[in-house]
Amino acid sequence: MRINTSLKVSSLLLLTLICFTFNINAQKGKKKADKETVAWRYELEAVATGSAGTYQVKVWSYSKNVETAMEQAKKNAVHGIIFKGFPKKDRVQGQKPIVTDPTIDIQNKDFFEQFFKTGGGDYMRFVTLANNGQIGLGDRIKISKKEYKIGVVVSVNKSELRKYLEKAGIIKGLSNGF
Amino acid sequence: MKKNIILFLAVIAFTSNAFSQAKKPTIMVVPSDVWCNTNGYMMEYDNQGTKVKIPNYKKAFQENSDVQFVISTIGNMMAERGFPLKRMDQVIKTLESNSAEDAMMSSKDSGMGASESPNDKLKAVAKADIIMGLTWTINQTGPEKSVTFVLDGIDAYTDKQVAGATGTGPSSFSAELPVLLEEAVLAHIDNFNAALMTHFEDLFANGREVIVRVKKWDDWYEDLETEYGDDEEELGVLIEDWMADNTVQGRFNTTDATENMMLFEQVRIPLYYERNGKQRAMDTRRFARNLSKYLKEEFEIVSKVTTKGLGRATIYLGGK
Repeated sequence: MRINTSLKVSSLLLLTLICFTFNINAQKGKKKADKETVAWRYELEAVATGSAGTYQVKVWSYSKNVETAMEQAKKNAVHGIIFKGFPKKDRVQGQKPIVTDPTIDIQNKDFFEQFFKTGGGDYMRFVTLANNGQIGLGDRIKISKKEYKIGVVVSVNKSELRKYLEKAGIIKGLSNGF
Repeated sequence: MKKNIILFLAVIAFTSNAFSQAKKPTIMVVPSDVWCNTNGYMMEYDNQGTKVKIPNYKKAFQENSDVQFVISTIGNMMAERGFPLKRMDQVIKTLESNSAEDAMMSSKDSGMGASESPNDKLKAVAKADIIMGLTWTINQTGPEKSVTFVLDGIDAYTDKQVAGATGTGPSSFSAELPVLLEEAVLAHIDNFNAALMTHFEDLFANGREVIVRVKKWDDWYEDLETEYGDDEEELGVLIEDWMADNTVQGRFNTTDATENMMLFEQVRIPLYYERNGKQRAMDTRRFARNLSKYLKEEFEIVSKVTTKGLGRATIYLGGK
């Protein structure tokens, strides 16, 4: 009887510990993503044109582990759509960035810090992982002893993102001034 | 008291805002000549012995559902960006109904019809400030189909290309043509609008680019080489001086100048002018009227101003 009770308690404790460890790892992944994202080291590649105003892109992020790369991918994709655009690939059309003034992120530093904040930043509203976030076979490339280049396909709603930035006064609308 | 002040300030803010909007250019999608020719929507007529082919837009809109579909898709995307398009098929219908209405209209008192000069008739055509020329071709390799899509934004007055997007979409074995066309529109419209935005930014920074022509009536005894003023300067030079003083940063080109005519291109006119203490939107008509007034006040030259949309004006010297 006593052995059974102590077994139950130990199992519960073990489960709690496992949950805690997972949570810590996830938090760690997010924090790492935050740190590594600030460098905005990534490449975007056209995958497909979706329904009105949505684009599917493959984001190549650099990281030591997959979780961090997944977190980074979403941010990098939104950042890329706003500031860099992406080139044409095969027959999929490339897209110009939303902003034409490259200094706009410096001028609106506080806005973009809040916008790209991990766990609650508004950037999450405009991006979703495609293929349930599964990484393709050739999309995990080891580039050094500790670092991977990981390609994640995401879908970004550029149309809604542009409207959001227009509403926030960061960019001007097409009919602005008329 | 505080409430009144706030209300007063709000009214002022609203009023100044309402009067500080520039004139919005109209945009219309038009199937290109190449598309009309390839798809058999052309008319042919004899112009004094020379056979001339012109697009038959009415037939294209009535018979081709793909063109309706593409224009409607582009229209939706543009309306979403706050720029609803002028629909060419509707403009053609309105012009026809206006013409029928004018023909039937007569004055209750005198029984006379509405005046219409040959020039008025010539101007009664579908027009817009920016024309989006649309072309697509279907490429077929065996069962595989793809669409090559061309969208050109042309300023109707300066004839300059202000925006554009071109490309060939992914090929497909199974997708129907409308699906391929929709994909092409969605893939290109954002890039087209990005180029259009750059054009508008330039317009706000450097003024609207227009064309001004100066001509003289045949029966006017003076010409553009006649000397006026205390300095006995030629009229053409005086007009150039006025242009330099009244364009944004003095930007304009005198493309052609003879004793009978002057052609000014790349004329950058300001977007606003002030009247009764309020800012109003400027267009080429207003700009040319100012030149006409200057000529009358300074040299007693009477002139007539005619315009074509927002961006082209002609001043005829020597009478109305």
